[in-house]
Amino acid sequence: MSIFQIGVSGLNAAQAGLLVTSHNITNANRDGFHRQEAITETRVPMRTGAGFFGQGVAVETVRRAYSQFLDNALLQAETQASYLDTYGAQIRQIDNMLADPNAGLSPTLQAFFSGVQDVASNPSSAPSRQQLISLTQGLVARFQSFDARLSEMRTSVNRQLSDVTAEINTLSGEIANVNDQIIRLQGDPGKPPNDLLDQRDALLSELNKLVRVSTVGLSDGSINVFIGNGQTLVLGTKSFELAAGPSAENQQDYGLFYISGSNRIALSTDNLQGGTLGGLFDFRRQSLDPAQNQLGLVATVLAQTFNDQHELGMDLDGVLGEAFFDVPLANVIGNQANSGDAVLAADNTDVGALTGSDYRVQFAGGNWIVTRLSDNTSSSYATLPQTIDGVELSVVSGTVAAGDSFLVQPTRNGARDIDGLISDTAKIAAAVPIRAGADLDNTGKATISPGVVVDTDNAAFATAGALTPPILIRFTSATQYSIYDNTNSASPALIEGGIAYTPGVQNDVFPTAGSVDYGYRVSLTGAAATGDEFTVGYNSSGVSDNRNALLLSALQTANTVANGTANYQSAYTQLVSQVGNRARQIDVQSKAQDTLVTQTREAQQSLSGVNLDEEAANLIRFQQAYQASGKVLQIANSLFASILELQ
Amino acid sequence: MIRFSTKTVFEQGVFNLQRSQADVFRTQDQISTGRRVRTPSDDPVTAARALEVEQSRAISKQYQRNNDSAQAALSASENAISNAIALLQDVRTVAVNAGNGALSSNELKSLAAELRGRYQELLGIANSTDGNGLYLFSGYQGTTRPFSETTPGSVAYAGDQGSRLIRISASREIPSSDPGSDIFQRIKNGNGTFVTEAGEDNTGSGVIGPGTVSSPIAWDDDANPRDFTVRFHVDSTMIPPVTTYDIVDNLSGDSLLTGTAAAASGPYLRPYTEDGTIALRRQVPPDTNASDFDYGAEFTIKGSPATDDQFTIQASRNEDVFTTLYNLIETLESASSGAAANARLANGINTALSNFDRDIDNLLRVQVGIGVRLRESDDAYTSQEDLVGQYDETLSDLRDLDYAKAISDLARQQLTYEAAQKTFAQVQTLSLFQYI
Repeated sequence: MSIFQIGVSGLNAAQAGLLVTSHNITNANRDGFHRQEAITETRVPMRTGAGFFGQGVAVETVRRAYSQFLDNALLQAETQASYLDTYGAQIRQIDNMLADPNAGLSPTLQAFFSGVQDVASNPSSAPSRQQLISLTQGLVARFQSFDARLSEMRTSVNRQLSDVTAEINTLSGEIANVNDQIIRLQGDPGKPPNDLLDQRDALLSELNKLVRVSTVGLSDGSINVFIGNGQTLVLGTKSFELAAGPSAENQQDYGLFYISGSNRIALSTDNLQGGTLGGLFDFRRQSLDPAQNQLGLVATVLAQTFNDQHELGMDLDGVLGEAFFDVPLANVIGNQANSGDAVLAADNTDVGALTGSDYRVQFAGGNWIVTRLSDNTSSSYATLPQTIDGVELSVVSGTVAAGDSFLVQPTRNGARDIDGLISDTAKIAAAVPIRAGADLDNTGKATISPGVVVDTDNAAFATAGALTPPILIRFTSATQYSIYDNTNSASPALIEGGIAYTPGVQNDVFPTAGSVDYGYRVSLTGAAATGDEFTVGYNSSGVSDNRNALLLSALQTANTVANGTANYQSAYTQLVSQVGNRARQIDVQSKAQDTLVTQTREAQQSLSGVNLDEEAANLIRFQQAYQASGKVLQIANSLFASILELQ
Repeated sequence: MIRFSTKTVFEQGVFNLQRSQADVFRTQDQISTGRRVRTPSDDPVTAARALEVEQSRAISKQYQRNNDSAQAALSASENAISNAIALLQDVRTVAVNAGNGALSSNELKSLAAELRGRYQELLGIANSTDGNGLYLFSGYQGTTRPFSETTPGSVAYAGDQGSRLIRISASREIPSSDPGSDIFQRIKNGNGTFVTEAGEDNTGSGVIGPGTVSSPIAWDDDANPRDFTVRFHVDSTMIPPVTTYDIVDNLSGDSLLTGTAAAASGPYLRPYTEDGTIALRRQVPPDTNASDFDYGAEFTIKGSPATDDQFTIQASRNEDVFTTLYNLIETLESASSGAAANARLANGINTALSNFDRDIDNLLRVQVGIGVRLRESDDAYTSQEDLVGQYDETLSDLRDLDYAKAISDLARQQLTYEAAQKTFAQVQTLSLFQYI
């Protein structure tokens, strides 16, 4: 060996150093770039009689500053941050919507009940009635537009799922490609194709932001990529496709499918934690579904309870009240994979008991298993129909096969489907169809209550505009009375006699001791005298009666929702509070996660990032090394020249 | 030694700048809107609480509107009833004048003509309507004319006994209307407990007063038949003639004084003294009734009843104001001369006067009731106003911004932001490349 060769090896090493440094400097701002280093080693020394002589330096390899631990930590942090970003961006839309006084339900709900009270104050006033009809339309429109915006978000989630899966497919395809290049280029594991590895890591980081992945590295330099609980996305040079599409259980919501050959295999979305996909699925399940269900719950209960009371009333034309609202129906979706042809029906028979949850009804060969999805509690029934949480489930036709399942959404479409049915001001039933009176000639001090109607389906109300029969109550003594059919007031026909009367307490007339019940309640109080008479008849032309309007307005603060624990407003407040809390929680987590990402990235960059000052120093160092090696050559040359001079 | 990647230093700087900027903008947004809580997520508990308070506030506001309606309705009723009271007091004065005995039958007839006008006027008041053309006193049937004259002097009520309630606070509904039957019809005649009446065929000059209840318990006793006739007999063979009377229980036909079947003619046991008290109570002597009785009523008769003159005492019945007025008109119209006619006039006017007193009492009772409700409604309005004020305060506490804090926050955040900007720019200029 010679000084020349040693000098040249030094020049080469310095040049390699300069090359790598320039590469580092130029890539300093590229995402996913890992700082590279030229690794040099001392050449094998030459053995001579005088011992070992060093042979200069050799460039062994170019290595990137890479720590799997740090890079993985960053991946973990980023997938969670991306999850929270996605969730946060979605839920913020609902949050903002609730904050917007022009979008929230509260003001219109209050205005609606103010309208009811105005009708109560002025029952026969056409302007008051018209106002209530307009306010009803406003309330219904608010429910519908609120629901429409939530449904838009649902559609948007579906669209984003399609977009994200397409992006995942592109990324996994690219990773497979890069795997292929790496396998072909990486002959010696000691000399890795750093920039390709960087490229693959960058792709992996992108992919990981969309869906949390796990990887396994292989000896040929390629990696396998998995999602969820082990579904392969990339296997060496081969990539597999995901697809988003209507799920078998609920065709309105997109699910995730794994394409394996010609098969589409549904992926359980529960295992997809993290990433945009996880964020979208969790947002839909944890926030969007409950919000829409809760809004629908308010709409359904409002419509049903208001109707129930309205139908007990009497309108301006003297006709019994009709339905005020179109009451939304429960939604049932049969699983597409069902092999039986059974049609399941769900009927919200007791709106007060509705929970706002969805239910999965599954036929497990002999038993029906009903799972409440909000808390995943199941109950098993041998037969249907059964009523669960106010919903009556029944099979209306067909035969069910084992394994068939149905998704029941009692209130999902509540806010969409509620509608006002009254457009004629006269049809608002502000009055009660009966009225009671005391005879003018009564000598006792007993009074009769105005009366409350509890059931207009009773035969007593079968004839329009009349009470069948009209009732005469006549006291046969101060402590006894009889009830007569007063159709022929000249000679009333006895219905039930000898009914005991206690002065000083409220005496409910119906149902009588003999079980006579005409669907309404009146009571007598006070000291009666023999011969005193009271009548109950139809409230014909009772246009100034506001008793039913008062009862309707009382519904505003009545606890009719969720088994008597909430009124309409507080049920809606629950929705606001749920969304607000969730949005806040996500926001706080997101901030914490951002900090974590920053710290992790700092640690990772501390190892793998480029410090330009360091590179500047390296430039000088390698330049000096190069100059020094040049000097070695110069010396070698002058040595050679001095030998030539000897001649 | 930790190394910093140049990219991290840059990114970190930008991240911090963004965060400071977000803080500044958020506070600025709060200051410009005056709201601390902008979206439910800003403070979920407060946002939910604010919604509840807003509903309470809206309901209180509504109660105030209801109060306005109640006041309008009550004032209209009150006005009509005041008019009715004034009218009846006028009519009563006319009746008193008619009874002073100084007027000729012609003058009485012209008074009757005047009263016919008042009668129509009263009917008009009872059929008053509110601003919307709805009858005030027809119960639930606002479009049904409550009072109409079926035959002269007989007014039928077509309304019902319904009373409209208006909710003026969370716990109180007040009636905003009163049924006409309670105002103009359901009025006990006579003295409110019993009514005295002179027989139509009386020939003497006896005039019966309205009487008083000496013992309400005795009157209300179940054994009381509450239907009596006082019969007179004048023994003109004596000088001066001796007038005696009997009290007959009309249910049993027995004389109260003897306890046996009433005699067809006198003389009777009790002697009559003019203006003396006649009590439905055993007086021994002269009564011979073996069993003690006391029906708790007493009255006086003035003038000189003739033989077979009768006066009845019966439990009060409901008599409407129209009947009372019409009876007075008829009494005045049928006035003629002579002692018997004068007594008939005096009896008729007496009956009318005591009935008018009852009528006016009843109207006053209703008027006072309305007045109480008006005041209650006023109070409720004020207390709702207080509540609205409290709700406003609560809402402000919940949602509104503490400006002092926000402005000092803003100043601090601005300082941080500016410092971050300045140092970022400075740090970015530090590079070794400047020296090579």
